[in-house]
Amino acid sequence: MKIAVILRQVPDVVEELVIAADGRSLAEDEVTYITNEGDEHALEMALILKSRQAATVTAVGVGGDEARDALATAVAKGVDEALFVPVPFEHRGDNHRLAAHLAPAIKSAGYDLVLTGVWAADQLDAGLAGLLAVHLSLPYVGGLTSVAAEPAGDKATVRKEFPGGRLGIIEVSLPAVLGIQSAEQPPRYASVSKVSQAKRTMQMKELSGPLPNVEGVHVSKLMKSETGVKAEMLSGDVERVADGIVRILRERGVV
Amino acid sequence: MCPESLLVDAEGERVLDDATAEFLRRICELPAGEKLLSCIQCGMCSGVCPLGYAMDYTPRRMISALRAGRIDDLYRSDAIWLCVACFNCTFRCPVGVPIPDRLIASLRVDLLGRGVGVPPELQAAFERTFRYGNPFGESPKKRDAWTRDAGIDVPILREGDSAEVLWWVGCFGSYNKRNQEDTIALARILRALEVDFGILGPDERCSGDLPCTSQGETGLFDFLYHHNAEQLGKRKFKEVLVGDPHAFNAFNKDYRLLGTSLDVRHYTQFLADRATELKRKMKKQIATKVTYHDACCLGRRNGEYEAPRILLETIPSLKLVEMPRNRENALCCGGGGGANWLDSYIWQRTRVPLPMQRVQEAARTGADVLAVSCPLEIPRFEDAIKSSGLDGRLRVREVSHMVAEGLGLLGGT
Repeated sequence: MKIAVILRQVPDVVEELVIAADGRSLAEDEVTYITNEGDEHALEMALILKSRQAATVTAVGVGGDEARDALATAVAKGVDEALFVPVPFEHRGDNHRLAAHLAPAIKSAGYDLVLTGVWAADQLDAGLAGLLAVHLSLPYVGGLTSVAAEPAGDKATVRKEFPGGRLGIIEVSLPAVLGIQSAEQPPRYASVSKVSQAKRTMQMKELSGPLPNVEGVHVSKLMKSETGVKAEMLSGDVERVADGIVRILRERGVV
Repeated sequence: MCPESLLVDAEGERVLDDATAEFLRRICELPAGEKLLSCIQCGMCSGVCPLGYAMDYTPRRMISALRAGRIDDLYRSDAIWLCVACFNCTFRCPVGVPIPDRLIASLRVDLLGRGVGVPPELQAAFERTFRYGNPFGESPKKRDAWTRDAGIDVPILREGDSAEVLWWVGCFGSYNKRNQEDTIALARILRALEVDFGILGPDERCSGDLPCTSQGETGLFDFLYHHNAEQLGKRKFKEVLVGDPHAFNAFNKDYRLLGTSLDVRHYTQFLADRATELKRKMKKQIATKVTYHDACCLGRRNGEYEAPRILLETIPSLKLVEMPRNRENALCCGGGGGANWLDSYIWQRTRVPLPMQRVQEAARTGADVLAVSCPLEIPRFEDAIKSSGLDGRLRVREVSHMVAEGLGLLGGT
């Protein structure tokens, strides 16, 4: 079984997000990147599948140079191949464009399963997995919390949690594209020395070339969220804030 | 070097399996690692281990299992993650086997290398420390944010800058809200003593001791060491002052081994040398009964028991009382060796948290204040006080905070 996992680099919100002078984008120099959380889970899911049956896993690292580090971490965790897909800063988050760019390479490699996070922190439009499925004319299901593939490789059984506490068990014909909500277990740890070793030794392929020009969505303005008029901000020292919380809880009859 | 006699018998037959032999060879190549082979199986380590009762493999049994070629049994044991690196074992060992530093750390290295991984809470601390340089996942750029509330000017040493004293603030002191009060108190004391000091600010990262040296993440330690050694090398200073005994230990031991020799002192040592001046400058009486908790990394591990006590005794009217287990016999707060991130893992296997035992000991002395010299102990003991029903009866205070109060420096915080 051949599995591809798409790992996108998204802005890390631990650092303050600074809006660029154009008022429509983030200031590139101020952004630090982190692998999209859902994609980390997709990687874990792929590695779990690999532990259960014979499979090769290809990690597809999307973004700037930081994606190379994410690929090294993925190799340290156990993926077999690494493919770097550079995406210029101005096109990140545009999943229509990214799906059109990735589709031919994914199609020619003949993967049985393509996994990625169901959602990305910086996405402007629809989820990448669904758009990719359209390009590849493959089935898609997203929001998954587990994936089991048949040894014959023609079918996968996935679990999807619906709102209202209902769990769906769904059969999907392979090949397919899956949007992962969370893996069956938390993403595993790769020790720093293993990651460093992977950086030195991994053979990384690269999908070069410009991204196709897809008419999609355009950001006209980016600004700080407006604070809701009803929000009450508690400020001052710890005692004062604690008193405030207790007062509010009492007023609402919670305590 | 590991003597071959341990690996093969007189007839040349192998007595250990490959995995165990390889493990012992690796330990023997580490500094003082060969002492493991001198274990006389007296069991002192296991008797003094504060969590030995909950271990299927105590340190003595671990060494015994290795000699029997049963390393796989150790890999399956939870005991590897119960060690809190309190150094009671090594301190008491008649032959000085470095149990946490070499035996436990090497077993943890293997678990990481074999893909077994680490308990999830500790994994998160590792990942954050690698990414952000602190285990809390806070922005490295905000490491000096506390200086804005200090009420005094705290110089940040940039590349090429110099100061007499480089103050290594540490992760807890920089980011933890509660510890920041003590960091500010120390800054004000240094200013009051007219010490020419500066901090690294955003260029400082975790020293590496806390999440690494006895925790098996040697790659992470190397990564942090190289960053910090490079940053230290870009400033000029005569000595390093540290607030966290774990950083003190890292600089004193591991950095030195790797070629970065620093003249480093814990802040209690630095200030104890100025006790006469401090005494002269005291403005306020603190008529309270205080008991002092010896931090493992400062006390047992680095032999400093008196400096914090000397400092407390500079405060007018303060009465220092001792817990029955003090100095080298002090009970660990349970936060070392990565255990600060393993509280629930350890609690599930022991049910009697060490910090709760310790605050109860402190309360039995009749003290109003449990004074500490390690930033981890503030949140650990404060939580334990709440859980033990001692809220309102016992307070935890950093020695620096009490000294600053005596000096009348706490206004406006």
